[in-house]
Amino acid sequence: MSQKKYWKGIEDLNEESQIMQDLRNKEFVEEIPTDDFLGDKESLESGSTTRRDFLKYIGFSTAAASLAACEGPVVKSIPYVVKPDNVTPGSADYYATSISDGHDFASVLVRAREGRPIRIEPNTMADYYSTTNARIQANVLSLYDSNRLKAPQKEGEEISWSSVDADIATALATAGDKEIVLLTSSMFSPSTKEIISKFSEKYPTTKHISYDAVSSSGALDAYETLYGKRALPLYNFAEARTIVSFGADFIGDWLGGGYEKGYSIGRNPKQKEMSRHIQVETNMSLAGANADDRYSVKPSEQASALIKLYNIILGENLATNKTPIDSKLAAIAKELKNAGSKALVVTGSNDKNLQILAMKINLALQSRAMCVGKPVFVKEGNDNAVQQLVQDMNSGKVSALICYNVNPVYSLANSVEFVKGMKKVETTVSVTQFVDETTKESTYNLPSQHSLESWGDAMAVEGEYSLMQPTIRPLYDTRQFQDNLLKWMGSDEDFYSFIKNNWKNNILSKKTGSTWNQTLHDGVLKLSLDPDMPTLNEVDMAAVAKAAQKYFKNAKGIELELYVKAGMGNGELANNPWLQELPDPITRTSWDNYLTISAAHAKELGLTNWNVSNGALNGDIVKLSAAGVSMTVPVFIQPGQAYGTLGLALGYGRSEGVKDAMKTGVNAYPFYKSFNKYASSVSIEKVEGEHEFACVQLHHTMMDRDVVQETTFDIYKNKSRDEWNPINMLATHDGNQPVSKIDLWDQHDSDIGPHFNLSIDLNACTGCAACVVACHAENNVAVVGKEEVRKSRDMHWLRIDRYYSSDMTKEKAKAEGLSGVTGSVDMYHQMEVASANPEVVFQPVMCQHCNHAPCETVCPVAATSHGAQGQNQMAYNRCVGTRYCANNCPYKVRRFNWFQYNGNEKFDYHMNDEVGRMVLNPDVVIRDRGVMEKCSMCIQITQAGILSAKKDGRRLEDIDIQTACSSACPSEAMAFGDINNEESLIQEPLHDDRKYYLLETVGTKPNVMYQTKIRNKNS
Amino acid sequence: MHYESEIREPLVLGNKSYSDVTRDVAAPVEGKANKMWWFAFTLATIAFLWGIGAMAITIGEGIGSWGLNKTVGWAWDITNFVWWVGIGHAGTLISAVLLLFRQKWRMSINRSAEAMTIFAVVQAALFPLLHMGRPWLAYWVFPFPNNFGSLWVNFNSPLLWDVFAISTYFSVSTVFWYVGLIPDFAMIRDRAVKPFQKHIYKIMSFGWSGKAKHWQRFEEVSLVLAGLATPLVLSVHTIVSMDFATSVIPGWHTTIFPPYFVAGAIFSGFAMVQTLLIIMRKVVNLESYITIQHIEMMNIVIMLTGSIVGVAYITELFMAWYSGVEYEQYAFLNRATGPYWWAYLSMMTFNVVSPQLMWFKKLRTSIMFTFVLSIIVNVGMWFERFVIIVTSLHRDYLPSSWSMFSPTYVDIGIFVGTIGFFFVLFLLYARTFPVIAQAELKTILKSSGESQKKLHKHE
Repeated sequence: MSQKKYWKGIEDLNEESQIMQDLRNKEFVEEIPTDDFLGDKESLESGSTTRRDFLKYIGFSTAAASLAACEGPVVKSIPYVVKPDNVTPGSADYYATSISDGHDFASVLVRAREGRPIRIEPNTMADYYSTTNARIQANVLSLYDSNRLKAPQKEGEEISWSSVDADIATALATAGDKEIVLLTSSMFSPSTKEIISKFSEKYPTTKHISYDAVSSSGALDAYETLYGKRALPLYNFAEARTIVSFGADFIGDWLGGGYEKGYSIGRNPKQKEMSRHIQVETNMSLAGANADDRYSVKPSEQASALIKLYNIILGENLATNKTPIDSKLAAIAKELKNAGSKALVVTGSNDKNLQILAMKINLALQSRAMCVGKPVFVKEGNDNAVQQLVQDMNSGKVSALICYNVNPVYSLANSVEFVKGMKKVETTVSVTQFVDETTKESTYNLPSQHSLESWGDAMAVEGEYSLMQPTIRPLYDTRQFQDNLLKWMGSDEDFYSFIKNNWKNNILSKKTGSTWNQTLHDGVLKLSLDPDMPTLNEVDMAAVAKAAQKYFKNAKGIELELYVKAGMGNGELANNPWLQELPDPITRTSWDNYLTISAAHAKELGLTNWNVSNGALNGDIVKLSAAGVSMTVPVFIQPGQAYGTLGLALGYGRSEGVKDAMKTGVNAYPFYKSFNKYASSVSIEKVEGEHEFACVQLHHTMMDRDVVQETTFDIYKNKSRDEWNPINMLATHDGNQPVSKIDLWDQHDSDIGPHFNLSIDLNACTGCAACVVACHAENNVAVVGKEEVRKSRDMHWLRIDRYYSSDMTKEKAKAEGLSGVTGSVDMYHQMEVASANPEVVFQPVMCQHCNHAPCETVCPVAATSHGAQGQNQMAYNRCVGTRYCANNCPYKVRRFNWFQYNGNEKFDYHMNDEVGRMVLNPDVVIRDRGVMEKCSMCIQITQAGILSAKKDGRRLEDIDIQTACSSACPSEAMAFGDINNEESLIQEPLHDDRKYYLLETVGTKPNVMYQTKIRNKNS
Repeated sequence: MHYESEIREPLVLGNKSYSDVTRDVAAPVEGKANKMWWFAFTLATIAFLWGIGAMAITIGEGIGSWGLNKTVGWAWDITNFVWWVGIGHAGTLISAVLLLFRQKWRMSINRSAEAMTIFAVVQAALFPLLHMGRPWLAYWVFPFPNNFGSLWVNFNSPLLWDVFAISTYFSVSTVFWYVGLIPDFAMIRDRAVKPFQKHIYKIMSFGWSGKAKHWQRFEEVSLVLAGLATPLVLSVHTIVSMDFATSVIPGWHTTIFPPYFVAGAIFSGFAMVQTLLIIMRKVVNLESYITIQHIEMMNIVIMLTGSIVGVAYITELFMAWYSGVEYEQYAFLNRATGPYWWAYLSMMTFNVVSPQLMWFKKLRTSIMFTFVLSIIVNVGMWFERFVIIVTSLHRDYLPSSWSMFSPTYVDIGIFVGTIGFFFVLFLLYARTFPVIAQAELKTILKSSGESQKKLHKHE
């Protein structure tokens, strides 16, 4: 016990104090007057507060307090009770795998959060197919498609896997002499091939037929004719100095796609030589839009021109017809010859003979850009085999049809006969991820798995193997196709152990020191084989040319070319709202396909497109008849479309297994007769009614403004910067000063810590739109649907503006003496009209992150403000939605939440779907109704990068902070980095002569810069 | 006794005594509403209810129910806002500026003009609220102490200046108006026979007893408030114009905007006063007080401000050409010849050409003509704001983002609703408030009354 004594007051000093005495005996010095209150019963009762009242008040207060404690519905997030290994809440896991959906293939890195794959990024370790396009980027959303097939079905009724296996094993065993057909999409998986060969051993009547809805069979046949093997040559556009393409959309998905990267490497103007690209085509394709020279001709003329070019280069005299570009061909041939081994001729035709002609030209020129010694296997589809199958089915030769990853009922031109044939097949099985037109006609519908749920492997290019591994447990009661085959063969092995054994025994042994685990980690196994030149077979070129001509023999009248859109592909992903909403890079129209027609032709036929009062685009509807098929299609006037031709995209008009909102466009496959994407003697006839388009860009020319700067390679190389990228000057009292030196505001301090800049090389950008979808996925950007897009309310944080050149320029107006008010009005009206065969530029535009941002000053509540690292930030919680910032943005990049886009059944897309919501990135907040949003320069990525560099105690590197768009860009047009880091890759574009800022004269001082586009024109 | 030259037109016609004035002013308050009033009131209420429905849709579903898009972020909302604020300008100008300039003709119109001001500002104030994506957070635009973190408003933003300008204007106008009403309320109170009415007017008249001290304070406060209100006449629309002038959008970024907006505001305000008073003087028999001379005076103001506005329009065009900036040049060329040429043409005809007709005495003293013109002017001024806002936004810097605007039924509903609300307020006012500042008017009855003037003449 402490002996300390604490003084309580002055009275303590006086021992005799009465107070101290009292306190020793009692708690209080004075009596507590309880009796005064409680003793007198009368006054107690007369008081206004009785005991009952007191209890009432107590009761009420308790009830009120507990009521007040009740809040709105509480959404509980439940922590892991037992934390899974390798899953740390809040940190992302990356898996190297591959996406192979039958149409596209890519080696990818998958970012998974809390066990959910949410993003697909390119796997840069791969040498081939290491880039992602828009569809690959969007593929992750198809994993969470709620219209997937969720359990095995027999005749529409759910049954168990065991009864499926029993039924099918019996069916296969009783096939007898009749064929068992495996109809699959291109399957370049060595292990699957192994299984199929074992399956064929067990069931000897098995026939494996590859079927690509959009066929590359012509090119495969050509290679087979020349080299005796079904494959494609490896095209390396980076090696080419002169590229001549006859209708080959190699920026799109020509022969499986994936050529953008090589193409853009070859077009880097900093090299001594920049490739020159000449496109001869019918529709305005992505490749054509990037070309230096573009000639628009009919498909039949393309063929004749190719033969003629062959004649000139090889000095032969094969029979051919006249074409409108005959006069140009000599010059083109000369350029090709000059380029020698750096020349490349490609054709987009699905005719074997034309492919042979193009390959022969390359061989004659000894082109290094076409490597036949490294065959490519991404496409296997065999048109003849598929046509044969339809016949066999109808003649009752087939006992079992097992479709995997194909939808022939939708995508075959003669699907009616196919369906008829199916009825004659005893057992029809459709192994598929999605409910579709084919599942409707099949007896057994077996759910297969998404690439992200599956094991698998691939050999896309000779010598490079890729692995596919699951990144999530199967969402539904699904089973891989390969597992099905193993089961039906009676094997107990599952596909995982099969693939592992197959790799250990047959593949890993090809490279010393390679292990399964390491390959799984890397995603690829590179054997670094030297090209193995196959022997060339003799071909009778006269016969080839004759056959090529025959392909177009009856070509007369209007010709139709079917094509594939960057967003929709072959139509397999039609239920993917990101791809539906993605504006086509060329037409900038989403949610639709349409008949493209040239302006002159449309005028003759009295067909028009017009804007209604809110700006939305409407168009006439025509009845299109070709090859015995006719349907009504809207027309879309397309600059660059060859006169007398029409274009129509495949992949639309799906009717089964897609949400109603996504049943868009018309199915063009019925025109795709015998896999021929060209049709002639087409007739169109205007019908009643008008069609509503969802076009995000209403003006197509640049109005001669300095929006996209471009110059020619010749000027770029030989003249000083001032001539082709002059510094913007302003007149001041001190004389002319560069705009960059004049400031209305104090500069932000950008020296401390990182300061981020983004550079966009307009020369490398091909407009492929991979970045648009990547941004959509990374930042939880809402899908708003056709009606809202029509109202110019798309939410894309990143858009790719596309401009056509116009015949009218300010210079021309001056020369023509168009001056004064009426002259200017006339000039501007003419400027709005695109040329008949325009030059095209693409310009990705996102928030420019201005250092002096007009949006920041005008927000009354300071909801948008400048970040320390250069970013212009949006505090969604603070935003009250005045939209003043959006009005005052010169770049018009701000997007407003006009409605509640998530959890709203009026916007029934992935955000209104329990499963679809799983794709949302937990690092990015979902924006509420009434809030402004825009590109954040992926601040969630840059902050995480800064944090990880800080934890490691090292300097921030480029690799830590790549934004969704910059990492997705297949052509490396986007460079993102910290300008305070001398080693960052951003330094090069930052100090490049080609650098310019968009609308620099407005004085916004953006952190996004552009690099002047260079066109390699012949001077 | 103050005498006024006889060549000046009398401001009160007929042989009016003080008690006549009292009776005439009190008559609409004390009498029963006629059929016309009920008809107008029903119509206004229906319009108002439609507006409430449209507002409910806006708040319930989102701004998406309007016709706006990613390029045109403001259209009818801010057009209506500026239009109503502009209309609100005449009242204060009449009662404050004309008071300081001792313009006695203001006395018979200032009460209604000021009422119109306040009701118009009420309509205007609805729009900043409604146009917000999240109107329930509208209080965030006020700099109130909070514990949300260190959140504070952005004093750089012209929208914030608007908040202050409009709220100041509204409060000063209301106080000024109310102070003027006190002696008149007392007059009605003294005449009221029904106890309920008497009670209400008793409260509203703040115990006015007409003592000399009361009159002295009344005069002093009026003068002080007039002094306070006068700069507001200029500041409010100056600040509203800065919403546009401080931006970077071609067509908005213009230094001429403050004077141009103020002139335009007075122009439209006077037109609205004309519209209202021409009807009111007829309906409640105030022709003796609101005379042709009053109407002519206001027409002259309309002509003057209309000319200022016209000069401003032409200056804008000249500056666009002279600036040499292609965006600026295109913006103005597009206004006149682009897809919204009809709006520009309406604006030019209604605002620039039509007021020039006022040079003709015959026209500016014609009641029918004035009435039609006053409506034309306000339509024109609505178009002016629409032209400035929509045609500048819809085609700005990057052609890829150019778009168009078309209103939805909700846009239209809200606008019609505010017109309904305005008339509901004004019709109620006309039946319950003394519509002429009779106490003030009586001070000039002897000097400017027609009969008194005749008396002097014969002396």
